[in-house]
Amino acid sequence: MHKTTQHLIRILARFARASAFGFAIALGATLIANTNAALIRPAHAESKPLSVVTTTEDLAAIAREVGGDRVRVTSLCKGYQDPHFVDAKPSFMVQLKNAALFVEVGRDLEVGWAPGLLNGARNPRILPGAPGFVDASSQVQVIEVPASVSRAQGDVHPFGNPHYWLDPANGAPIARSIRDGLVRVSPGDAALFNQRCADFEQRLGVAVTRWKQQAKTIGLTGKKVVTYHRSWSYFARAFELTVVDFVEPRPGIPPSPNHVQDLVTRMKQGDIALLVMEDFFDPRLPQKIATQTAVPLVILPTSVGADDKIRTYFDLFDHLFASIGGAMKSGAKS
Amino acid sequence: MIEQLPFLLWPFLGLLCIAAIHVYLGLHVVEREVIFVDLSLAQLAVLGAAVATLWGLDPHDPPTYIAALGFTVLGAAVFSFTRSERGRVPQEAIIGIVYAVAAAATVLILNNAPHGAEHIRDVLVGQLLAVGPTDVLRLAVLYAVLGVLHVMWRKKLLLISADPVTAKAAGVNVKLWDFVFYVTFGLTVTASVELGGVLVVFSFLIVPSVIAMLFAERVGARLAIGWAMAALASAFGMLTSVWLSAPPGASVVCVFGALLILAGIARPLVARRA
Repeated sequence: MHKTTQHLIRILARFARASAFGFAIALGATLIANTNAALIRPAHAESKPLSVVTTTEDLAAIAREVGGDRVRVTSLCKGYQDPHFVDAKPSFMVQLKNAALFVEVGRDLEVGWAPGLLNGARNPRILPGAPGFVDASSQVQVIEVPASVSRAQGDVHPFGNPHYWLDPANGAPIARSIRDGLVRVSPGDAALFNQRCADFEQRLGVAVTRWKQQAKTIGLTGKKVVTYHRSWSYFARAFELTVVDFVEPRPGIPPSPNHVQDLVTRMKQGDIALLVMEDFFDPRLPQKIATQTAVPLVILPTSVGADDKIRTYFDLFDHLFASIGGAMKSGAKS
Repeated sequence: MIEQLPFLLWPFLGLLCIAAIHVYLGLHVVEREVIFVDLSLAQLAVLGAAVATLWGLDPHDPPTYIAALGFTVLGAAVFSFTRSERGRVPQEAIIGIVYAVAAAATVLILNNAPHGAEHIRDVLVGQLLAVGPTDVLRLAVLYAVLGVLHVMWRKKLLLISADPVTAKAAGVNVKLWDFVFYVTFGLTVTASVELGGVLVVFSFLIVPSVIAMLFAERVGARLAIGWAMAALASAFGMLTSVWLSAPPGASVVCVFGALLILAGIARPLVARRA
């Protein structure tokens, strides 16, 4: 018995030595091979562009500005769809599976659909916390964050208002968080991404000054407006508008007659410049309110891609001001 | 095309789980002429979850689930007590009323509930592509337990569905067994609706049994036909959603519609040969 045990131990020891030796050789070979590969082919020399998947087309447009030729960007939600509700298709899963970077608006905007898809795509590189996951709100100053996180407290969104891309100045922090994500997944391209991001911020800065001037020219600055839903809080803050009330304070819950009556009475006081509505809602009620109160109704896109002409983040605000300008003019005439 | 298929594996297995029990329950439902009872019970579950938010519970808290379940059981009790053999008021009317009132009550409650509670209604939509191994396992376990109960009590349950008068004459407590039926049914559909949405669940419940009824009389034969149809619709629906790059739930439902039309065309041919 004792002898057999000793024999066994000897065999095991020999086996262990042999495997350790073999393992060391294999490890060494792998290291050398990798070093060689790295020496021959630096990371940024890869010809294949990085695959970036965003939840909305606004993020996609900014990702294209930052990534240039080094990225191939697709957006899951189209610009004419409500980003709160997206019906997933099988092709989404493949896009997520192959993505090097995933960018979301965050603040619970996509909570109804994105987490399930991310889990289902089985791509650990883009899961929350991984280098390939970007919450585009991370560097943005988010407003309307409740002081208390309890939902019982009333009308609050636990992580603040998620419609921050409608303040054009927020394009810069969005671009920076996308740049940081791109640098994490492709460090070799850091110089390019930094340069492109800085360039975008510079162009955006110029454009923001222009839009603010335009807001003054068309007589929008300082005006009071009523909006359909809460999407316009950031836009209003950026251009010094006061949002007096909402048509439908809760998404998906039709307003009560009292609320509509109060709203109509309030709007008839004559100091409301515009009734602003997102383009993916049913316009019948706002149209009726607009007719009753003689406040011009303007239906506005909230996203890049809402129609074919809005391709970039710059196009979006150009389009918004063109539409608002037209509505203000027609309102002034009547 | 090929690379999309792996992502459809778990949703497909989920649909097969749903098919396994819904085809069987569908035979009961069509026999009882309570076609929309699944919508009604699912809406009651949503109402329960909405009521839970009034107490400040988060939609994802376990007590919310218990509230949803409680309302489903309540619905089961209502449906077992409103089934009368004389049938002055059809059961389907009660079911429709419960659905409409539950849906409207949900709107009233969410009108006063904290912001974010609107998402409670999302469970009725389902998100098939997000179905993963844990969902399928949970569904399989739940349905296995319910399936065993239905196999154990099959004689009584089938008899009260098909012929409540005879059952009562034979001394069966019809109301009690009706209640048992609706509770197991409610548990089944609330779990499946969360995965596939109301449209998908409704189709799995009704279409296979209707097709089966076109071709067979016996329960065993109807089950076999129904299961085959449901499996076929799941597979073709998934493939269609890839071909058209469309949401899978809606694709499966439309494939079910096409299957029913084909079955309707095939039936006279089969009957003539027989």
